[in-house]
Amino acid sequence: MQNKVMSRKLALGVTSSLLIGSTLTVEAWAQDTIRIISHRQPALEYYTSQMEGALEDGRVSVELMPIDKELELASITMSSGSDAIDVLYLNDSSLKRFAANGWLEPLDDLWEKYKEEYKLGDFPQSVVDAVSYDGHIYSMPIMSNAELFFYRSDLLKENGIEPPSTMEEYEQAAEALDSNRMAGTIMSLKPVDAALNEAHWYINAIGDGWFDENWRPIFNNEAGVAAINKMKEMAEHAPRGFTSHANDESTINLQQGLAAMGLQWFTRAAAMDDPTQSRFVGQFEWVAPPSGGARIANDGFAISKFSSADKEEMFKMLAIAASQESMRKGAEYAMPPRLSVLEDPELAEKYRWYPAARQALENGKAFPPIPDFLDVGEIVTRYILQAVIGEMEVHAALNQAAEETEELLASRGYYD
Amino acid sequence: MVRWQRGLWWFLLPSFGLLTVVLLWPLGYALYLSFFDYYLGSSDRTFIGLGNYVELFTEARLWQSFWTTIIIAFGSVGLQFVVGFALALGIYKLKFSARLFTMLLFLPHIVTPVVAALFIKWILVSNFGLLDATLLGLDITPPDWLGDPIWAKISVILADAWIFTPLIMMVLYAALQTLDQSLIGAAQIDGANAWQILRHIIIPALIPAIIFTVSVRLMDAFRFFDTIYVLTGGGPGTATETITMYTYQLGFRMLDIGKASALGVITLVVVAIILLTINKVLTRIYRRGD
Repeated sequence: MQNKVMSRKLALGVTSSLLIGSTLTVEAWAQDTIRIISHRQPALEYYTSQMEGALEDGRVSVELMPIDKELELASITMSSGSDAIDVLYLNDSSLKRFAANGWLEPLDDLWEKYKEEYKLGDFPQSVVDAVSYDGHIYSMPIMSNAELFFYRSDLLKENGIEPPSTMEEYEQAAEALDSNRMAGTIMSLKPVDAALNEAHWYINAIGDGWFDENWRPIFNNEAGVAAINKMKEMAEHAPRGFTSHANDESTINLQQGLAAMGLQWFTRAAAMDDPTQSRFVGQFEWVAPPSGGARIANDGFAISKFSSADKEEMFKMLAIAASQESMRKGAEYAMPPRLSVLEDPELAEKYRWYPAARQALENGKAFPPIPDFLDVGEIVTRYILQAVIGEMEVHAALNQAAEETEELLASRGYYD
Repeated sequence: MVRWQRGLWWFLLPSFGLLTVVLLWPLGYALYLSFFDYYLGSSDRTFIGLGNYVELFTEARLWQSFWTTIIIAFGSVGLQFVVGFALALGIYKLKFSARLFTMLLFLPHIVTPVVAALFIKWILVSNFGLLDATLLGLDITPPDWLGDPIWAKISVILADAWIFTPLIMMVLYAALQTLDQSLIGAAQIDGANAWQILRHIIIPALIPAIIFTVSVRLMDAFRFFDTIYVLTGGGPGTATETITMYTYQLGFRMLDIGKASALGVITLVVVAIILLTINKVLTRIYRRGD
């Protein structure tokens, strides 16, 4: 009996010690570890590994996931004021929304303090503006990204076609190259992000853009209708299943010779020359998207307002990951936003798509700089997709989208 | 009730407490939020009474997503039931290797639905998907599995059926084990054929299990999200946008928590009504059979 009581006490003691021990360990881990969440893609894998390397082993915990999952997780965590996330990757649109919601730490003081040490003046003002909201810097710029026009130079040459510089030429080329086994062009129309990027190009290249100066929708005017009609026409030369294609599927279609050309991100260019993935190494060329207006973006890493970790330490970690040296290596994966790296002639020689990327940066357009643009995108892409697949007539679809957009923006105080 | 039984209700308290924390409290909170204009990015919540409900009920998108949900849910559960029941009967009749077949057929259900949906996506994706590329290799032009509005719905139904048919098969197979063999024997002596035995003995005996599986699966199918999210993202256009996809768009993409909560409450009520009706109908059939 006594033995039983003893062993029960011993078991309780061991369990309690284990529980207390594990609680302490978890608490210590929670206090010391900097938790970073980010979208998964090659460039961000590289830069988050630079952040891990900036601090001693085990101090940084990185979780990579698809962008929509990351933004959901961040929105839920931050709206509850939780400190579970310390650093997060944000693109230009989501940055503005998060900053407007008061979820991000302004970096102005730290930026000023470490400007010399980390050569932060090397970032062009346009890039600093892209990571700012309401006059405050909220994010460390990590990469510029631009959509480029990818094309198979061998096919264009064979058919005597010049790389297109206008939408009309693009349509003619797609029509000429379209066949049973190869689509004339890729199109990424999976809802919502991929479709929004593609629509952004047409709305800017053929239409008059998304809004007037008072944030009233203009994408449903005559030019906007022409833009989506053109998109509908181009869909006839897209691969089967294009409405469920995002960047991955479109990249594979190009790499496997299932489509001849089309709009795709800069970050996918290197994969065209990767012999383990592409059947047409050396046969792709790039130009700025015809007629301009395709999406450009400046992405970075921001610090959560609710983080309980040392913000100065986190800023230094970000600055190290975004240093000139780090970005020179990272140039393989993404366009570095530092002038000193961007203008390096060696890089242009090494990476064949750099000249097109610089052109695309000049003739491209970022999303409208309002925190609610992604919500607008949710509404508009749905109607555009319905128009493209013939569920709705183009003009009616755009009018309905414009009406709902105005209602949304009015409810968020845009017209007060 | 004897005296010692009177205090037994105390034993319900832990379960009720747990239920309150994990189910009733969130449900009550969702109901509460549904009466507010509440955008997650703003600290303000404005009480608008039934405003969210009125807005939702006047939206064409809500009705369209309801119809899509009903088509996909009933199509998918119907297919799962027919195939699952046929498989259960087949295995029940097997004289050998029944356990091996059961295990093999159950495999798709063991895989996480998101992973299973990814498998299916890489089978159906146009041009380089396993099935699509194979058919193209045989000079057969396959349909646009995920890009055509009708085929996208069919693909989603087939995907869900592939994942969940094993569950129905397993439950019905277990129920078949409890079947009174003497009834079948007696029917055979009376000259009943296989169809008559199935119609008048096996199916009535399985009605409780059928009610259970159909109800559980319908509840699940109305919350159907992960497979559609991976396969089509609700597209093409809005062809596969179900009510949960719409709730997700409202809550997680547009951060419109008030409206998303209202839609959640509406979904709950609709699913409850549908399930109660189905249960009532099946139970009536069962009792009439008695």
